[in-house]
Amino acid sequence: MTAFEPGTFLAGLLSGLLAAIQDSPAVAPIAAGASAVRPDAVERGLRFLATAYSVVWTILGTYLVILSFRLRRVSRQVRRIRERLGL
Amino acid sequence: MRGARIPDERIPDDMMRPMWSRVLQITTLLAVPASLYMVFVVAPIEEKMGVIQKIFYFHVPSAFMAFLGVGLCAVMSVLYLVTRQRRWDLVAHAAAELGVVFCTIVLITGPIWARPVWGVWWTGEVRLTSTLVLWLIYVGYLLLRQNAENREQAARWAAITGIVGALDMPIIYKSVEWWRGLHPVVLKMSGGGGLDPVMGRAFAACVVTFTLLFLCLLVERVRLGRLEDEVESLEQQAARRPLTAATDAGGGSSR
Repeated sequence: MTAFEPGTFLAGLLSGLLAAIQDSPAVAPIAAGASAVRPDAVERGLRFLATAYSVVWTILGTYLVILSFRLRRVSRQVRRIRERLGL
Repeated sequence: MRGARIPDERIPDDMMRPMWSRVLQITTLLAVPASLYMVFVVAPIEEKMGVIQKIFYFHVPSAFMAFLGVGLCAVMSVLYLVTRQRRWDLVAHAAAELGVVFCTIVLITGPIWARPVWGVWWTGEVRLTSTLVLWLIYVGYLLLRQNAENREQAARWAAITGIVGALDMPIIYKSVEWWRGLHPVVLKMSGGGGLDPVMGRAFAACVVTFTLLFLCLLVERVRLGRLEDEVESLEQQAARRPLTAATDAGGGSSR
């Protein structure tokens, strides 16, 4: 079994998400006067919104997981050395 | 059974989190769904941009938290350089790491928002570029700390980098006023902030949630730093012990 690598996992996830929002360059930007209430614009907006929110929570979640892994590892290390020293 | 406590097999008692830290974590856990409810159910959909505008509720608070991280790092770095107390350095390091995390969120959500609204992922305007520069400076700060062999020297250099890096903050903040570009002035200090009142409440909820999240992560990151210091000091103790024992034995035999 290969070890879990947060960096590789995050890179894969982000590239997948970016691939999902590859939209047609022919679609006009909203700032150029396209209506934001047209069904295709709403659908496109929702795709981008979902991607952005996924990115936010993925980054925060990954950081939290890495932090808790590091905390657990260092806590175990402290306990082991204390036992060795008889403290 | 009252008073009886199951001992935690994994974590020693003095490493357990204090009560206020638990309260902070629970409050944050409650604040996250509350802010999501405010954003997706209570806040209205913006007329021009439509649903995509809701990225604003996480993009801007993330930028605030990146500023908070960088600002805190700079203040703690000054305190460290003045007092040379390790605790300030620990907080500065933790704040810089969080600053990078939140700045990463800003740099990714920004282009995702820009693409459907402006028609481009990225432009070379000052706000975007200076934010990228800030991120690079603090990534450099973290790399400097990670790869340094002498901790004292690394802390000193990192503190200077942290202070110099923070000088980028006013440039980022004022850039949209000083150099006109595509990026809007997000919040006006006068005239009700330029937001619909309901949107303003949803935005305030998100800022509070992100601040709580920042504090939670900061507390844990500082705790990690303390534990790493403890490992180092215990390892030094362990390394000295056999030597001391040998010296004692040698001293005993010479008498």
